Order: sequence, then C-alpha cells, then structure tokens
Amino acid sequence: MNNGVGKKRPAAQQPSPVQEKHHATMEEEELDEDVFLDETLIDEESSILHDIEERRALARRLAKWARPPLSQSYSSQSQSIVFQQLEIDYIVGESSKDLLLNRTGPAAIIRIFGVTREGHSVCCHVHGFEPYFYIGCPSGMGPDDISHFHQSLERKMKETNRNNKVAQCIRRVELVQKRSIMYYQQQDYRPFLKIVVALPTMVATCRGILDRGMQIDGLGMQSFLTYESNVLFALRFMIDCNVVGGNWIEVPAGKYRSKVKNLSYCQLEFDCLYTDLISHIPEGEFSKMAPFRILSFDIECAGRKGLFPEPTHDPVIQVANLVTLQGENQPFVRNIMTLKSCSPIVGVDVMSFDSEREVLLAWRDFIREVDPDIIIGYNICKFDLPYLIQRAEALGITEFPILGRIRSSRVRVKDTTFSSRQYGTRESKEVTIEGRLQFDLLQAMQREYKLSSYSLNSVSAHFLGEQKEDVHHSIISDLQNGNAETRRRLAVYCLKDAYLPQRLLDKLMFIYNYVEMGRVTGGSEQGTFEGATVLEARAGFYEKPIATLDFASLYPSIMMAYNLCYCTLVTPEDFHKYNLPPECVNKTPSGEIFVKPELQKGILPEILEELLAARKRAKADLKEAKDPFEKAVLDGRQLALKISANSVYGFTGATVGQLPCIEISSSVTSYGRQMIEHTKKLVEEKFTVPGGYQHNAEVIYGDTDSVMVQFGVSTVEEAMNLGREAAQYISSTFIQPIKLEFEKIYYPYLLISKKRYAGLFWTNAAKFDKMDTKGIETVRRDNCLLVKNLVTECLHKILIDRDIPGAVQYVKNTISDLLMNRLDLSLLVITKGLTKTGDSYDVKAAHVELAERMRKRDAATAPNVGDRVPYVIIKAAKGSKAYEKSEDPIYVLENNIPIDPQYYLENQISKPLLRIFEPILKNASKELLQGSHTRSISISTPSNSGIMKFAKKQLTCIGCKALISGNDRTLCSHCKGREAELYCKAVDNLSELETLFGRLWTQCQECQGSLHQDVLCTSRDCPIFYRRKKAQKDMAEAKLQLERWNY
Amino acid sequence: MEAMDVDQEKKILHRKQSRYINMDEIFFAEKEPYRGQQYSQIYFARLHFLRTLLYSLVPNWKPHLPVCTILGLEEGKECIIVGTLYKHMKLKPVILDEYSKERSATPLFKPHNFRHPDDYLVLEDDSGRVKLDGGALLPPVYVTGVVVALLGKETGAGSFLVQDFLEAGLPPQIEKPLKPSEDKYVVFISHISAGSSASNPLLFQLFVDHITGHLGDEKEQRLEAEIVHVVIAGNSVEIPRGLLNGQNLASKDLSRLSEPIKELDIMLTQIAAGVSMDIMPGPNDPANFSLPQQPLHRCLFPGSAAYNTFNSCTNPHFFELDNIRFLGTAGQNIEDLEKYSEAKDKLEFMERTLRWRHLAPSAPNTLGCYPYTDRDPFLLESCPHVYFVGNQDKYETRLLNGSEGQVVRLICIPKFSETGIAIALNLRNLECHALSFEVQFSS
Repeated sequence: MNNGVGKKRPAAQQPSPVQEKHHATMEEEELDEDVFLDETLIDEESSILHDIEERRALARRLAKWARPPLSQSYSSQSQSIVFQQLEIDYIVGESSKDLLLNRTGPAAIIRIFGVTREGHSVCCHVHGFEPYFYIGCPSGMGPDDISHFHQSLERKMKETNRNNKVAQCIRRVELVQKRSIMYYQQQDYRPFLKIVVALPTMVATCRGILDRGMQIDGLGMQSFLTYESNVLFALRFMIDCNVVGGNWIEVPAGKYRSKVKNLSYCQLEFDCLYTDLISHIPEGEFSKMAPFRILSFDIECAGRKGLFPEPTHDPVIQVANLVTLQGENQPFVRNIMTLKSCSPIVGVDVMSFDSEREVLLAWRDFIREVDPDIIIGYNICKFDLPYLIQRAEALGITEFPILGRIRSSRVRVKDTTFSSRQYGTRESKEVTIEGRLQFDLLQAMQREYKLSSYSLNSVSAHFLGEQKEDVHHSIISDLQNGNAETRRRLAVYCLKDAYLPQRLLDKLMFIYNYVEMGRVTGGSEQGTFEGATVLEARAGFYEKPIATLDFASLYPSIMMAYNLCYCTLVTPEDFHKYNLPPECVNKTPSGEIFVKPELQKGILPEILEELLAARKRAKADLKEAKDPFEKAVLDGRQLALKISANSVYGFTGATVGQLPCIEISSSVTSYGRQMIEHTKKLVEEKFTVPGGYQHNAEVIYGDTDSVMVQFGVSTVEEAMNLGREAAQYISSTFIQPIKLEFEKIYYPYLLISKKRYAGLFWTNAAKFDKMDTKGIETVRRDNCLLVKNLVTECLHKILIDRDIPGAVQYVKNTISDLLMNRLDLSLLVITKGLTKTGDSYDVKAAHVELAERMRKRDAATAPNVGDRVPYVIIKAAKGSKAYEKSEDPIYVLENNIPIDPQYYLENQISKPLLRIFEPILKNASKELLQGSHTRSISISTPSNSGIMKFAKKQLTCIGCKALISGNDRTLCSHCKGREAELYCKAVDNLSELETLFGRLWTQCQECQGSLHQDVLCTSRDCPIFYRRKKAQKDMAEAKLQLERWNY
Repeated sequence: MEAMDVDQEKKILHRKQSRYINMDEIFFAEKEPYRGQQYSQIYFARLHFLRTLLYSLVPNWKPHLPVCTILGLEEGKECIIVGTLYKHMKLKPVILDEYSKERSATPLFKPHNFRHPDDYLVLEDDSGRVKLDGGALLPPVYVTGVVVALLGKETGAGSFLVQDFLEAGLPPQIEKPLKPSEDKYVVFISHISAGSSASNPLLFQLFVDHITGHLGDEKEQRLEAEIVHVVIAGNSVEIPRGLLNGQNLASKDLSRLSEPIKELDIMLTQIAAGVSMDIMPGPNDPANFSLPQQPLHRCLFPGSAAYNTFNSCTNPHFFELDNIRFLGTAGQNIEDLEKYSEAKDKLEFMERTLRWRHLAPSAPNTLGCYPYTDRDPFLLESCPHVYFVGNQDKYETRLLNGSEGQVVRLICIPKFSETGIAIALNLRNLECHALSFEVQFSS
C-alpha cells in the first residue's frame, strides 16, 4: 500500500509501496515534477459513451457492481465528508477563485483520493498549500535587504525558467526564527529565511541557484546552505497538516465546494482549503478501515511456441477479476473475460467476446464501473498491467488506457531503472494508475520473506498450504485454440491465479500492516540494520541448558539512555568553545561527545520514548482486543512501531539516508559492544563456585543484543532461575532504560559458529516450544531438497531425539541410498532462475547451458528468460566441465541417465553436514563421508546412449542376474528353489509403487479440482512433480517385470 | 474321499458337492498395462454408467423437473443434477505434506478417522463443479466417488441448495434357485496371519482338522461333511515386511521371508485335499496393493496348488455356488469408508456400497486402484445373494431386503487369528453361524 507520500506525477518512481523501502537507498535524490492540469478534456469521454451505447448489454451487466449511490445529505453538501485517504499527489492548475480570492496564476493543488465509511469514492482538491524551504539568514540582513534578496532571486529564477508562464516565481521570503537540528547549540533559535515558491519544481531550481551562489547587494557573492529543500511537496503537505499514511480526513460541511465539472470518476469531488482539513489520529473509531474495493486480477496471453508472450505479437485471451471489499472474506465480484466462447463456470460471470478489442474494452469498462481503490495481483506491476497497455497500443485501441480515476488522463507504461546498493541496477516497466493503488504480491513477497522460490505456486504452497495447478505456457495456446470446454479449463486456472493473491493478502494481513506502517512512520520505511557480533562463538554441542539474556530494544535504549541525537552532539571544537563541564556530557566509547539531557534533551530519544510508549499501549490494547479486525490493526501497529524504533538507529547509519550521522551510529554500536562485554564480565565474576553457586558460569556466545550463558546446571528450571537472577542483577548496573531480560533457554544447543546455531527453545520448564535454527541450510535457494531434508532430519534426531548415533546412521543410510541410486530424483533437483540468455553470461553456468541445450531439443518447452530452470547433475565423460553436467530432470527420468552421486556428496551435502557434526563428532568427515557405506555404488544404464543400440538384450535370472536361456523365462535352475521368496520381493516392490502411484495421482486431481479431467499441471516447483512422473514410469516397468513370472 | 472315511466300521460319510463357477474375470488386470493413463477415465466410466441409470429413474422420482448439467444451472431454478460427489476434507492426509512441510517437533497425531465437522460436499460432472449446501445430503455419510442425483437450486453464492437426493439403489438380483432341500455349508475365514507373532498355528490346525473331518464324533462329522466350499478372505500370511526395505537381502533373510508361506501351504494342502477352496489376497498378503488385487501366485503354493480344488482368486472375489451369487472383498473397501465417513456399524457401510451400486466408491481417491481406461470393474450390475468382507474386528451379519425383492446376506468375517472365529453359511436358507475355535494350554 502506498502510504500516500512522496508521490510524484506522472513519473512517480515509487507508485507502489513495495518499492517504498528503496527510498532510503536510492542513489539519486527524488525530485518533484510538476504536471499541468489540462482543462480541455479529451474527446475520449464521448467516444466512451458511444462505446457503451453499443454495448449496452455489457454495461448493464457491469452496472450492478457500481458503488452505493450518494445520500441526499451528501448531494446537498450539508454533511461533513469523512474519508480514509489512500493516495496523495498534486497537480498544477488554476487556484479556486472561490476559495482563494487574491490568488492568480497556476498553483500546486494537492489531490487526495480516498473512500468514505459508506464506500463512496472521494477526490479532494486541496488549495492554498505552497511549496517552501529554508536558508540560513546571513547575519546583518534587515527587512530591506530581504526584499532586495527577494527581487534578485526572482530575477535569477526568471532567467532559468524562461518559458514559464508563472508571473511570480518567488511568492514570499519571510524571516523566521528556527533552529537547525544538527549539533548542540547554546543559543536556542536563530534567524532563517523561509522561501515560498509558486510551484514545487521551483524548490529544486531555486536551491540550485542558492547553492551556486548569487550576488547580493552589500554582501557580495554568497552561496547558501538550504534546509528541507529535499522534502517532496506531497510529504511537506502531510507533515504540515499532520496527515499520516491511510488516516481519516474530515472536511466539515460548508468548508468544501463540489466541482462544477468533475475531473475524476469519483462520487465526491470537491475543492477545499488546506487549513480546513481535519486529520484524525488513527485511534478508536478512526483506526478502522474503510470498505476499500480491492481488485485482484490475472491475465492469460497466448504465446507462440517457445517464446515468452510479447505484447506486440501475442493476444490477451483471458482476464480474470475478483473484487473484494476490505474486511469481507468473500469476493463480491467474480468474473472472467475471454476471447472466444467459454463454457459457464458456476458462481462466475463469464463474458466472452469475439475480438481482443472487445475484451480489453470490457475490462476498461469494468474498472470504471467497479472503481477499485486497490489493484492487486501477482507480478502485475511488471507483467500484467504493462502488457495490457502495450497490447492495446499495438492494436491501436487508443481509448483503452483510461483506467485511472482522472477522466482526462491516459495510463502509460514507463521504463524505469533504479539502482540501489542492495539490489543493483534493475530495469522495469511501470504503470501508474491515478487514484488507484497497486499492490503487487510478488514484490511484497520478495521483500518481506526469504523463500526458495517466488513462483505463485510455491508461495501459495508455503503460506496457504496448497499447491496450485500450473499450466505450462506452451499448452495455453492449445487450450485457447480448442473449444469452449478447453477455454473453460484455462479460465478456471486463470481465476485461481487471480484468487490466490487475494488470499495471500488476507492471510498475511498485508493491508493492515502497510496501513499501520504508514500511520506510524508517516510513510517512509527504513531498512533494518545488521548488528555486530561481539563475543566469539565457542562452537560445540551443549547438552546443558543455555540461558539467553537479551537486551530489550538495545539500540533505541542506548540512544535514550545516553541522549544520543543530532542536536546533542558536540564537536570537539564546540566542546572547547562552549567550555562545557565534563559532568554535563557523555563521552561515548567511540570517542564522541554528547550533552546530557539536563542540558539539552535530544529529539531522537524523545521520538523513541514516544514510539516505545505507543508500542506498549498497542500491545496492551492487543491483549484486550476481541474483534479480529481490531486485533489485526493493533498487531500491525505494534509491529510497525517496533520497526520504526529500530529504524531510528538505521537511518543515522545509512550513508545515503535523509540524515546520516556516523557519530551517532558508531556511538550506538560501541555502547552495544561495551554492554555485551560488561554483561559477560559480570556473569562470569558473579556466578562462580567461590561466589556460592554450584558451578562456574560460562558465556559461550554473544550476538548483537544477546548473551548466551551456560550456568552449568542441568535442568531447565534451574537455568531459568539463574537467568532471571542474572538479568535482574545486571540490569541494575545500567542506566535506564537499558534493560537485560531473560527470555529463553536453549537446551540442547548446537553452536556451529557466529550466527549459525540450532537448539530447542524453552520458555517454560515443562516443555520446549520449538526447534530454533539460524544460519543453517534449512531453507536456501540453491540447495537441492536432499540437503534440506538431511539437515532437518539430523537436527531433529540430535536435538529432539537426543540420538546422535541415530543421526549418524541416518546420514550413512542416505549417502548409501544416494550412491546406490535409490534416491528420489526430486530430492536432487537444483533450481536457478534464468535471467539472461546464454550469450550475455560471462561465465558459463550450468542452468544457462542446459536451457540452451533444451532449446535445441525442443524450443517449445525450453525455459525462457524469467523462468526457473530445474536441473540435476549427471555423470558425464571424464574431464567434463561442471556446467556441462547439468540435465533436465524429466529427460533424465525418461532416459535412465545416471546422476553423479559424487557431485552431490562433495558439492551439496558434505559442507552442511560437516558443519553440524564437527562440533559433535571426532573425525566427522571420515566417519560420515568415507565409511564402508560409501563403497557400494550403483549406476543406472542409460537407455539412449550410443553403445546401447548395439547391445543385445538377453534375459537374466531375477534371482542372481545370471543369463538365462532356453525355456526359462524367470529364474535360472539354481534359483528355482527360491521362487517363492523372490516372488514376494518382486510383488512387494510392485505394491509399494502402486501405493505411491495412487497417492500421487489422486493428489494432483485434488489440486486441479477435478476428477473427470486429466491432470495437465507441469509445475516443476511442486515437490511431487517428478515423483509423479517417475511413479508412472516405474509402475510400467515393475508391472512388466512381474509379468515375467506368469509364464 | 479318503479324508472322509474316518469311521470305516460304521458308515462312510461322503462330502456333499455343489456347482462352483468362478466369475473373477472382470477383476483380472494382468493384461492391463500402465501406459501413462490417469484416473480421470475410471471416474468418467463410473459417471457414465450410473448417470444413465439415474436418468432412467428420474421420471419416476420427480416427474416434472428438468434435468441439468452443472454448467446449465441457473440461479433459483429448481432442477435435477447428476454427478460424482467430491468430499472436501480438512483432515485428509496429504502426500504433499510429507515432502514440503517442515518437520514438526512434536510427532503428528495420526487419527484413526479423518472426518471433521467442516467437511463439505461438492458435486462434479464432466462439465464442472458446484459446492453443495443444505441439510438434505449429509457429508458424514458420503465419500468422494459416489454418484448421486440431486434435486435443488443454485443459490446466489454459487452453491447448490440440495432439497432431495436419489441414489442408484440395489441392483437387480437374479432369481434365487428353488429352495434346495438339503443343508450345504460354505465356510468363510480371514486373517489367518500365518507367521505373525500373534497367531497361534494350533488354532488354524484345529480349523483345518474340523474342515477335513478329523475332529469330533459322528454327528459332528456329518455336519463337517456338509461343508462344500471354503473361502479364505485375505491376510492369510504375515510376511516380515521389515526385511523388505529395498536393500539387497542376505539369503538367510530371504528364506525367513518365505517361511510363513511354506507353513501356510502345508495347511492349505490339507484343506485342498478335502474340499474345494478359494484363497483371496488381502492387504498383508504377498500380492499387489491396488484393487483389484490379483490372485496370489501359484508359485507361492507348490503343495496346495497342485490340487484342482485350489482356486487362487482376485480380491474382490465374485463366484457362484449352486446358482447362488457371492461377492466379497478382503475388507479394504469397508475399512476405507470407515476412515472417511461414518455409520452405525460395518454392515451399514456394506449396505451403502450396494445402494450406491459401487463396491469401492472411495477408489481411486483414497483407496489404491488400477487406473482403468474403459470401465469401472467395481460397478455392481447385479446384486449378489451373499456379500462378505474379511478382516473385520467382529462377526456381524444381517439380511438386507431390497425394494425390488432382493435379499442379500451381509457378513463381516472377523479376524481369525484374533477371534478364532470362522463363519459357516447354509446355502439352503442363507442362515449363518460362527464356528469358534479355541486352544488352551494346560502347561
């Protein structure tokens, strides 16, 4: 959700909140960009009306979804308008003459979009708010000088903006008393000049002039440092009017004028003065959510064989839409627009059209009629929306892209690039739809969660616990070219893709969390920070309880305790100059000086206090809350407050943030380090045998804000008591509010190295809560499933079953299975994303090479750029390069190609395993990786290799593999006597495969939601995809094998 | 027969005979290969057969109502739809979980039964699906795979409000032969479980001796001579599966594997020498897993298979004795219904399968089954006179009367190794009684 901040038009670089985070790391500074309001409405209006005339039937179908009609009190303007704002931007237009009597010329008008409690859409034009910034006032400047200064600045501005129609660029220059936030100053306020300009873009121009310097009468050439000139206009407005993301705004009756001619499609569109707005604090009634309309949609395109769909060639064949009101759990609109006929779907409005033009226009009309406030989907920002618009362009449908709420404006696709240190340079497409927020679940997922795959399939498997049928894009065209039935099949699939984002949104409470984040932070959200390790980890397997002492909100507490702020920082020069008494300052371990609160209370500590107090309140309210929506709101809020409190430290440390201050951040970390060391010292001094305790305590590890202590006692309960005692004792030695808390026990605890550990987590002495692991290969993108399973199972055996020999045996069995070719292939599949084609990779990579080879085999099913390529490593000729050994798992299955067990042993499983076992076992490597279990190796014979064509097949005895001939079909004469036993074995093998076959294929039927249709799914992300394929093949073979007994 | 002339001084007892026809062909799957086919076809075949049947019943059931496909539903319009039920079950175990779920710290609770109050039914035909609402059709009673006709209408929310329903009902029954004048018995036994640590070999020996007429006085032997046929309804052996873990076996272990089968063969040889017998495979036997289970291979029984009285049969098993039709399974079909639906007793589950005209409706969904392409062998085209299931916890029996005069004897055969009970059914009147065996050690 966009928090309504920093929105620039039309080149808004951050239309979606998903990218909001990058604000902080953006290399380039953001600039306002003025958009001039075009008063002459384009003819589209009439052509749309004409269109609708033509398709009256469709219009009627859509009309029932319109928003509720306005009541009398709204239309007579006798009622205050209270709405929840979702988006704020500005346009440049003529000021309202009714509201501002003596204002002429173009001015910036703030535009707020929102929804009332009744579900009416609102577009509020706010007049009178002007862009401004500050400069320090040169000493000795009097009122006359200011007016001179004003005139010369105006002249300079005119020179730079020659073709500007604005009569007066610099509206006012005012003398104000303010103070800079930077550095401790003894005098309170000093004079600043507030420069008010006509248009937001002029802030930057003006700053440029002032930065470079200008001639001032009596003062000569002088350059100025500007203040707050980098605050975007919409944000400026929000700050000054106390508007925070997603809050409720009230415009009292009589203070607004309805537009004579509506510029938008909103039900309530009006002008008002910014001074008349009432911004409500999001509490009580105003912490609720308006009934937003959330549209979740998905499109299907018919791509050509082997190519990813391109808007210049490939038609849009289906668009599925679901509209849900915020707070309800079922969509109230479910429909699908299809190209060519499509059989009906129960509960879904199927609209079929003969031409693509009609499909696209129907969607546009649908958007207009349903008027969604938020548009969600999976990868819509980069794929679906740009595709629709570019497709309409390619087809020459000029009236299509009127999708926003503003009548006159067309939606366009912009190519944007953004660079950030974290993500490198990315190119992307971007579509801004005015008045409607876009929320792309893919981007949200990528940002919020670390997952091994971000396909909609694996994301829904992860969060919703269900697999999604995946239709390969090469089949889509076939389904489209079939009949109404096959298109229906596709439609059901498309609808599911539209439904899943909505369910993810609900399940993960994205709306609540984002709105709350916006409310708390006023919009911007900062990255978290990486803390430093302080105490070396003493690796080992600890079989006695380990108590964990945590600093609660360590960094914020330090900033509060030591009054660390921009305005309390004293430079060494100032320290001498002011001649401050040493008892009034703190010298931090990193050598900086900050004044104590008695002298000057810092702003950051104050903000932090407020944030933490608010969080405490939110948490208390959360405990009381009964209503699930209220709970969601409060939980989102306390989370947002926590993140905000932590980010206060974060933005002092970020080099490209709004206000970096390395002195603060290094002081914070140095205090943090000192505290951890202090804690270690105290624990190890106090909890000793001489000190009257049973054992000597030992600190085994200290992370950013926690210390792990082994008190030596053997029960969880004793360790808990000592932990509590230690926390209390050590807290008393710190300045308020720094507090050490005892939270949990790890028992047993496997410490591998810093930031890598696993243990059972206890918060009560009766039963452990869970198994907690950090930095261990349980989820990593580039590992095969085997590694994850192996590591998880071993940890389970070691920590929960306390069965180390069992874990060792398990590893040995698995390795033996691997070498004996008994493992399920899906465990060995490695997946990597194909980002570019082969040529543009500098170094040859296994998955790229494979994609290239697959393209040669069959271009239709080969992976394309953007797909994830699954592969296994196969046995190849000696001396082959690693990248030549990759192969398509399906191809491997079909042709019995041997995999390379040695590769998996050495490159995949050995490191993670040794990491776990080295603290536990002596000679772990020798024991696990070289034992007798590694002696026996079995390699399958490929069925497609050259030599096999010349081989003559001869029956061998099922019992002893000796060649048999003559009348024997099954067993050699030697094995005849063991017939019954051998048969039992064979039939048991068959029956196991049958069990698997049945379970796998019925699961796929379940997933696709149909019993009477064949499973088409080709989701390679699905854990049973390869199994299912293999079961089919194995079954056929086992059956043939068994038939040899029926001679 | 030699085994029968136990008392030469008095009078030679001759075992009675009856005419036996094995009708297992429909369950043979040996020639059915796996060609990459899926399960949709078997559902299609089932729906096609039962829909035709239900359509023919509709005019008598609700004469004036239109019949629709699911796609043809219109909101608020009352009509009849026919389709396959799908039961959405919250607790149904999902194979995906074994692959994708994080291993939880606490062992998973494995319920005996997967029913949940939130379960709901969906009706599917070859055009689409619709969720079912309303109290007429109870989710606890049904399982995925049952074909029914429903009367109701589509609601605004896109679901179908069921007002009434129609099941296929008992299939027609061939006329029972004229009442035979003499008593002849068929004996059913299941779960002998030779080789299992829980089974007592003496118990089975006692049973064999009884069948073969080596026990009791003349009166008793007279009764024993009236046994014309023995049916072993599955789980005759228990092979140590721990040995079969995919690893290569040492030859010592291999022979341990076949020990129980050898033991069984010796006993079966004694039976087959005296009376005609059928042996059906069950879930524990060395046979395939999917239904229909194919006959146990003759190579397992070198001794008994030599007799022409020895019949290795399929499971389900279908045969005729003196024109009386028998149909039975080793119990998997009923056991699976019990996991996914509820009834007051096992006999009720059996009754339902007859009414649904389908021996194993939950196959292939939760019960393993061969993916047939052109037919569904479990459809019941005619009603048996005797319907039995093996490997049950206790002996239960009831006579079921159909609306068209069908009379079916339902029998739950208990596990012999646990109860020592076998069942004897009199062909003359379809009455049956338990034969209870007990071994007591006096040491």
